[in-house]
Amino acid sequence: MNRPGMSRREMLRNMALGGAALLGAPALLEACGSSSSGGSSATTSKSGGASTAKQSLSMQSAWVNDAEFIGYFIAITNGYYDAEGIKLNFLPGGPDVVPESSLLSKKAPLALTSPDTTIKAITSEGAPFVIVGTQFQKSPIGVVSLAKKPIHEPKDLIGKTLAVPAANTLGVNAMLKLNGVDKSKVKIVPYEFDPTPLIKGDIDASIDFTDDVPFTIEQKGEKVVSFLLYDYGYPLFNDTVTVTKDALKSNRDLIVKWLRASRKGWNENYKDTTVYPPKFANTYFKGTGRTIANELFFNNAAKPLIDAPAGVFSMSEEAIQANIKALVDTGIKATRAMFDTTLLAEI
Amino acid sequence: MTVALETVHGAPAHRRRRIPANVRSMLMALAGTAVVWQIVGGLKLVADGAFPSLSGIATQFWRDRADYPQHVLATVQAAGIGFVIGVTIAVLAGYASVAWPLFERLIRGVGVTLFAVPLIALVPVLILALDGTKPRIVLAALAVYYPTMVATVVGLRDVDARLPDVVRACGGNDASVMRWVRLRSSLPSIMAGLRIAAPAALLGAILAEFGGGVRWGLGSYLLASLGSARPERLWGIGLVATVIAASAYGLFSLLGTRFTRTNVSATVVAQATPALLGDARRRPLQQRVLLSLTSIGIVLALWATTLRLLGTSPIVARSPLSVFRYLTTGDGAAAARHTLLAALRQTVPVALLGLAAGLIAALLFAVLLQLRRELAHAVLPLALVTQTMPLAALTPIIVLVFGRGIFASVMVCVAVTFFPSFVIIAQALTNTSPSAGDVVRSYGGQEVAILRFVGLPAAIPALLTAARLATPRALLGVMIAEYLATGRGLGFLLSQSRGLLDYGMIWSVAAVSVLVAIVLTQLVGLLERRFQSYAGA
Repeated sequence: MNRPGMSRREMLRNMALGGAALLGAPALLEACGSSSSGGSSATTSKSGGASTAKQSLSMQSAWVNDAEFIGYFIAITNGYYDAEGIKLNFLPGGPDVVPESSLLSKKAPLALTSPDTTIKAITSEGAPFVIVGTQFQKSPIGVVSLAKKPIHEPKDLIGKTLAVPAANTLGVNAMLKLNGVDKSKVKIVPYEFDPTPLIKGDIDASIDFTDDVPFTIEQKGEKVVSFLLYDYGYPLFNDTVTVTKDALKSNRDLIVKWLRASRKGWNENYKDTTVYPPKFANTYFKGTGRTIANELFFNNAAKPLIDAPAGVFSMSEEAIQANIKALVDTGIKATRAMFDTTLLAEI
Repeated sequence: MTVALETVHGAPAHRRRRIPANVRSMLMALAGTAVVWQIVGGLKLVADGAFPSLSGIATQFWRDRADYPQHVLATVQAAGIGFVIGVTIAVLAGYASVAWPLFERLIRGVGVTLFAVPLIALVPVLILALDGTKPRIVLAALAVYYPTMVATVVGLRDVDARLPDVVRACGGNDASVMRWVRLRSSLPSIMAGLRIAAPAALLGAILAEFGGGVRWGLGSYLLASLGSARPERLWGIGLVATVIAASAYGLFSLLGTRFTRTNVSATVVAQATPALLGDARRRPLQQRVLLSLTSIGIVLALWATTLRLLGTSPIVARSPLSVFRYLTTGDGAAAARHTLLAALRQTVPVALLGLAAGLIAALLFAVLLQLRRELAHAVLPLALVTQTMPLAALTPIIVLVFGRGIFASVMVCVAVTFFPSFVIIAQALTNTSPSAGDVVRSYGGQEVAILRFVGLPAAIPALLTAARLATPRALLGVMIAEYLATGRGLGFLLSQSRGLLDYGMIWSVAAVSVLVAIVLTQLVGLLERRFQSYAGA
C-alpha cells in the first residue's frame, strides 16, 4: 500500500507540462508513474466496467496534509472513491489558500470550509455555495494557553496578547463580542500555527486546533489549558463540506458518492485510531515536518469532535439552528436554506 | 567567444592567485561566524533558545535528511522554470528596448512596477488566480524579470564606441551592429544580471509555496514545520535555501568568468535607474507625460487581460476597474478607504524608519571596513552570500528573536536592506581617486582625514543610490513582518482580508502597496538625480 498521494502525482504532471525536462528528469521521485496503473486496476476488479466511466472530482482541503484529513486518505488508499467511480484530486491547503476561493475560481467544486467564512461569502459576496455536510460536529478551534499562565475563559483574555490565524478572524471577533469582551482590550497579533511564541511566553494565548497543538507544547514540557470557541457562544461546525450550486445541479450524484466513500474512510479510521497514521508515514505524511506520534495524538483527539451518532458528516437540525443563531448574533445573516441535508439522506 | 577563451587561458597565473585568496578569507570568515554562532546558540543567549546552535541545526538536519530531496527538487524545479521563462521574456524585452527606444519607453512602467512590487503582496493574489504550481513559477518569473532586463539593456548599450564604427565603416547597418557588436558585448552584463536573478527566482518560488496549496517545496516544508516548534529545523530549511541560492549565484559568476572576458560587478547592474519620467532623448514635456501615462496604462492593461485570459471568477480576481470602484463608488468604499489609509499610516513611517536604520548601519559598517581594510576581504564574500538568504525563511526567526513590536519590523527592514546598501556604499568608498587621497596625505592627513574629506563626500551619491534600491525592499520587509508578526499595517490588512474573504481589499492592498513602493522609489530617485546634477556627477 505504498501509493504516493494524488497531490504528488498532480504536481508531477504539472511540472512535466511546465517543462521539467529543463532541469533534468525527476529521477529522485520514486516510481510515481507506475502507481496510477496499480490504482485503477484495483478498481476494475471491484466495480467491473464502471472504471471506464470514472468521473474526476477535485476537492480543496483546508490545510496542509495531516491527520485532520486522514479519512480522505484512507478512502483514496483503500479504493473507496474508485469503487464509487470517482477519481479524486485532493488539493492541499495553506495559509493563503482560502477554500471558498478555490470554489469561486473553479479549481474545485467541493471544499472543506469554515462555515462562518462560507456563509459570509454567501451573504456579502453573493457566492453560490451550499453546505451539504460537516466533518467536525464541534469545531476544534479554541483558545490555547499554558497552564502556568492559564486563560480559562474569554474574559481572561483582557489585557493579554492573543495570536489569531487570518482564517479565524471572524470567529474570534464573534467570541469576544458574545462574551462581552472589548476587542480593543485584547492585543491581537497574526498567527502562523507556530506554538514557539506561546511556549516562549512571547504571546499569552493562540487560536489553534485544540486537538493538535497541545501535543507539541507538551512535548516541550509545558502543560496546556484550552477552551473551545464552540463552548463560549460560538457553537459552529468546522470543515463543512461546501459545494457550488453549479456542482449541486449538474453533479449531485457525484457529491453523494463522495460523501458515501468519504464516510466509509472515516468509519474505517474510527475502528482504531492508531492503525492508519503510521501507514501514511511514507505517503501523505512524508516530509510534512510533523511526527507520526503527533498524527496519532491528533487522530485520537479529533474523534469525539468528528464521529457522530447519525454518521460522519451528518448535520442535526438542532446543530444547524445553533450555527445559524450564533452567526446571526454576530451579524452574519445565515439562513436554513444555506444548509442542504438531503444529500446525506441519500447515502 | 574565441577571443574570450584565449584571454582566460592567457591569464591562468592571475586567476590561480586571486581566487584561492578570496576563498581562504571567506572560509576564515565562515569559520569565525560558525564559532560565534555555536557559542551564542549553545548557551541559549538569544530569545531563550529560539536561536539554535549550529550543532543543533546540523543534528536536526541529519534527522530530517530524508525529507529534503523532494522539497528541494520541487522548489528548484519551480524556480528553474520560472527563471527560464522570466529570463527569456526579460532578455527579449531588453533587446527590443535597445532596438526600438519607443518600445523601451512604453514597457518602462512594467519594469518600474516589477522593480518596486513587494512580492508578498502578490502571493495571495496569485494563489487566488492560479492553481497548483503556477503561482510559484509566475512569482519566480516576476522576480527575475527586472534585474535581467536591466542587465540586458546595460550590456547592449554600453559597448566600446569604436566597435560600431568599425562595423559601419565596413558598410553595416544598425542590425549588423546588433549582430556583430552588441549581442556579444552584452553577455558579461547579462551574466551579472542572472547572478542576481537566480536567487530572486528562488525567493519568489519559496514565498509562493509559503502561501500553501502545494505538497512539496521548501516553503511548504517551512510552513508545515512551523507547528512543530523546532527552531533548529526552520534554520535548517533557511540555510539549505541559502546554500541553493548562493550556489546559483556562484554558478552564474563562474559562467560569467568562463564564457566572457570580464566579470561585471553585480552592483553595476543593480544601479541602473528605473525612472518613470526620465528620458534618454529630449522629448517635449507633453510627449513625456503622454508616454508615461501610456506605460502605466500598459501595466493596467496587462493586469486586466491576464485575468480575462485566465477566466478566473470576477468575484475572486479583480480587475483594475473593479479595484478602483471598490475604493471609490462601491458599497462601503468610504470604510474601505479609511481602513486602507489607516494601514498605510502604520506601514510607511516604519518602512522609512527601517530604511534609515538599514542605510545608517550599512554606512557605519562600510566606514569601519574602510579603516580596517583587511576585514573587507573576509566580509565581502559573506555579504554576498547573505544577500541570497531567502527572506521567507528568515522572518519567522527574526520574529522569535526580536518579538512583535515596531522593533521587529525595523529589524526585518535592516536585514533586507543592509547588505545590498553596504556593498554599494563600500564600493564608492573604495573607488575614490587615489590622487585625491594623496592630496590629503601630502598635507599630513591620516586615513581618517582621507575618509572625511574624500571618502564620505564620494559616498553620498552611493548612499542615495542605495536608498533608492533599498526602498522597495524596506517596504517588503515591513509588510512581511506585519503579515507574520506585528499585526499592524498593510501586511496585516492583507492577511486579515483573506480570512474575511474581502477580495476587493486583498487586491486593493496589493495595488496600493505597489503604488506606494513606486512613488517612494521615484521620489528617492528624483533626490538622487538632483544631487547628481548638483554635484556635477
